[in-house]
Amino acid sequence: MIEMTVLQKKITRRIRILRMLIFSLVGVYSVNLFSMQVLRKQLFESEAERISIQSTRIPAPRGEIYDRSGTRLLAGNIEAYSVYITPSELPSAQRKTVVNNLARLLNISTDDIESKLPDPKAYSYGRVVITKNASLAVIAEIATRIDEFPGVSWTSKPLRDYADLGSLSNIVGYVGSITRDEYKLLYNKGYTLEDLTGKAGIELMYEDLLRGQDGWISKAVDVHGKDIAGNAARVQAPVAGKRLILAIDANLQKIAEDALGKRQGSIIVLKPSTGEVLAMVTYPYYDSKVFIADDAGRAYLELLNNTQKPLLNRAYQASYPPASTFKTILTAAILEEEFISLDKTVYCSGEMVYGGRSWSCHVKKPGHGPLALEDALAQSCDIYYWTVGRDYIGVENIVSYAQDFGYGKATNIDLPGENKGLLPTPSWKEETYNEIWTPGDTMNLSIGQGYMLASPLQVANMMAMIVNDGVIYKPHVLKEVRDSGTGALMHEIQPEVLHTSSISAETFEKLRSSLRNVVVNGTPKAAISTKVVQIAGKTGTAEIGLKDRWHSWFASFGPYDAPPKDQVVVVTMIEASNPWEWWAPYAANVIYQAMYAGQTAQEAAETVGVRLEGSLISGRRE
Amino acid sequence: MNLQDIKRFFGNVDYFLLFATFSLCGIGIAAIYSAGVDANGLVVSNEYIKQLLWFFIGIFLLIGASLIDFSRFKDTSWIFFAISVFLLILTLLVGKVVNGSRSWLGFAGLGIQPAEFAKIATVLMLARYLDSSEFDSSFKKLLKTGCILAIPLVLILAQPDFGSALVFFPAAIVMLTLADVDFRYILFGVLSIVGIFIFLSIPLYVQNHPNPILYMLVTQDSILYVVLIFILILSIISSVGWFKFKKPYYYWLSYSLAILAFSIAGATAANKLLKPYQIERLLVFIDPNIDPRGSGWNILQSTTAIGSGGFWGKGFLEGTHSHARYIPQQSTDFIFSIIAEEFGFVGCMVLFALYTIIFVRCFVLMETSKDRFSQFVVGGILGIFAFHFMINIGMAMGIMPVTGIPLYFVSYGGSALWSGLISIGILTGISARRYSA
Repeated sequence: MIEMTVLQKKITRRIRILRMLIFSLVGVYSVNLFSMQVLRKQLFESEAERISIQSTRIPAPRGEIYDRSGTRLLAGNIEAYSVYITPSELPSAQRKTVVNNLARLLNISTDDIESKLPDPKAYSYGRVVITKNASLAVIAEIATRIDEFPGVSWTSKPLRDYADLGSLSNIVGYVGSITRDEYKLLYNKGYTLEDLTGKAGIELMYEDLLRGQDGWISKAVDVHGKDIAGNAARVQAPVAGKRLILAIDANLQKIAEDALGKRQGSIIVLKPSTGEVLAMVTYPYYDSKVFIADDAGRAYLELLNNTQKPLLNRAYQASYPPASTFKTILTAAILEEEFISLDKTVYCSGEMVYGGRSWSCHVKKPGHGPLALEDALAQSCDIYYWTVGRDYIGVENIVSYAQDFGYGKATNIDLPGENKGLLPTPSWKEETYNEIWTPGDTMNLSIGQGYMLASPLQVANMMAMIVNDGVIYKPHVLKEVRDSGTGALMHEIQPEVLHTSSISAETFEKLRSSLRNVVVNGTPKAAISTKVVQIAGKTGTAEIGLKDRWHSWFASFGPYDAPPKDQVVVVTMIEASNPWEWWAPYAANVIYQAMYAGQTAQEAAETVGVRLEGSLISGRRE
Repeated sequence: MNLQDIKRFFGNVDYFLLFATFSLCGIGIAAIYSAGVDANGLVVSNEYIKQLLWFFIGIFLLIGASLIDFSRFKDTSWIFFAISVFLLILTLLVGKVVNGSRSWLGFAGLGIQPAEFAKIATVLMLARYLDSSEFDSSFKKLLKTGCILAIPLVLILAQPDFGSALVFFPAAIVMLTLADVDFRYILFGVLSIVGIFIFLSIPLYVQNHPNPILYMLVTQDSILYVVLIFILILSIISSVGWFKFKKPYYYWLSYSLAILAFSIAGATAANKLLKPYQIERLLVFIDPNIDPRGSGWNILQSTTAIGSGGFWGKGFLEGTHSHARYIPQQSTDFIFSIIAEEFGFVGCMVLFALYTIIFVRCFVLMETSKDRFSQFVVGGILGIFAFHFMINIGMAMGIMPVTGIPLYFVSYGGSALWSGLISIGILTGISARRYSA
């Protein structure tokens, strides 16, 4: 034998260690097997018996969704029968006749059924859904002739059903079949590929609450899958999903929907003292019902391709230049820190020249004349705000106040897909466009134009903060969670402070009176004609580069003299895509009138003397 | 080869090894046949015929592989490696998606899984490198091995076929052990990989088992950074301690802290780079129950089938569980449960004994093979076989995670069978030539 080198010795030792490891693995596995198959055999045998049960799922009904009143059902369930074929239980000789008979009964073509069945050669043990919408009569027919239908089974399953939701569709959302990718993420929660999940709105946001827990019917079967006689089926009852009560008032929603009419835009009615969303209308809206119909896929594609984007909830998923409503922010800044003396006037001659171009106020020459803060806000004078924004307040302060009012930040509303808008800053501009921030940018920002974008919900939050003396509550659509059987209250959503401002209460007091003055003496004086309630607010007319049309805003709260808990915030936003009517203040007017006089939108419109269809006007109004 | 050589070749063929292999294949085909019989006794699957066909073709592959003297042509190892890398790339481009992974290459219903063959090619490539690197430092060996492994690994993970990717590690670990790499390096690598998976799986664990402290750790980056910095400072202190006082516990402290830091950093990087669903897919490994009927279905069914088999088994084709179709992937991943149910403890011991023969023959070959290259190749193949054995049978018994790794020679599937038989062919060739000049 040749003498081994040091290395060889070392390697041989290592091989020995490896051998020991692998042999102990085989040893441990053998011992484990012995323990399983010999020592604990009884245990597994009884387990084997227990497991030889056929389980049928009893789907849990999805939680119902009600409006604020708790009596108006928005989303419920209907019983529908699904018919299945289990290919492995269908003898190939009978396959053709069974398929033919079934097709005739269900009134669908044999090709349809054949296409759903797997290739006869590929063995498959799952059952295949033939239809999900069979009637009770058909099921009864199959049941009486069950001998002729080997391998055919059915289940009754609660299917989602939506009321006539109108614009509520975009809040309630809809359910749809689980996709492969969703399934990968949801399997841990016990979903099956036959399940429906929430895809949008409340249905998506509160999926975990709405979804119940499926039950089972289990019966013992022998090796051949036959019932073992005398063995009662065990039933584990399904647990229904929770009942959700929304903060939305369906009546108010209807009023707002009618007030908006067929105008592309949105309306929000918010309870500032709690953050409850009382109404949220977007137009155009979709109909949740199309998603539970048989051709949901096609309907969805149509909605997706619709250029008016009905799937979008414009109240919080879209953002626009807030225009003159943003002057409220600068006014708050001036009232708080007196960047410019409150009675110091700026002369408006209808236009000013800066940076080599002419900037026109919405009132052309000779303009507003000399204006101090109070009147400048009421008249929405651009020249005043351009001047004070650029020369007195400065971009840093404007941005800081705008942030304080919640711009550029999420409102954390309990609906999916929120648009945070955009609050431009000098550093943002540098990063995005690699351009320096100019005083002209500050001027644009001062009147809520330029890069500035806000969602109507953010504008509503601004007004809520003014009502609440500096507190914004997180806006929410869900009000209560209740037990689906007993209706017992399980959880009530409490107001949650989203943001507390450091601006003084006096400033808010003054700001409220200034905003009241806007309605009494200012731009919307003619439009806000309701006598039943005192309103404060600010208009906005956003330039988006069209000659004769503008985005129209009206952000308001009222009743002006009531304590905050009795006030509401109403924000109306009409896109420039509509023919120009300056409709936003008129719509708010109708809503306040209807709300506080207990009228419908139509009645309210007649009382205040406007036509809901509107009337075209020409020329810009602020 | 003259007549003398041929005589000697056949005289030296390892008939024990071939006997064990073919017996396992036979048991496999019987079990696959059994898996294809339904509760009514009808044969509903022709998988066993396909497996039989693959087996016969595989015998030719085995003979072919045994006739190539790999140690003589070891410098050409890179060709096999290059071909398999090319096939893996091709798979990513034009492969077929089966069970969510783009892992099949082929057409008209016929196909192979290139990952299976990449295992052998990588073993040959690594063996070639380690053979030529006797005087490299442990660190350099580890680094270069890592580089070679990374190529097929990345391509296979991109499919993504997590199970197949995992197999490369035990092969490399056994080969590095044989290559005289410092154990501390090997241990470091193994523990870091384990650590990465533990930390990667914590968010999923928290999702199912709420725990406030862990929850804070996974949701708040700042806390994670504090922990990382804390570990870093500790490891600096302990390394300073080691250099100053030369106390061994300082060494092991910094060693374990480094592993910890490595694991957390690796998991964080993976979390940042991968999309949530990709991580979820990787973690199917840790929480495997994709079964809609709820958690643990596969494992429950499989362990029940095994346990109820008893000492003697229920008899061929008599397994109630196996024929009632409770177990998914009966003929592939869970083939062991059908054998255990129908042939009982005795049958399993026969299976273990056959595998033990293969392991023993590998060890004998490693100890007696005349060149280092052959030793490395045998080690790599042994690592692959042993790992498949450990994971697949452990999974069926419910003590290992479900990874979709087949049991070589027994599970249904052409690619795995062929790569197994080719490996046996290589072993046979090495053993037949070990006494020749």
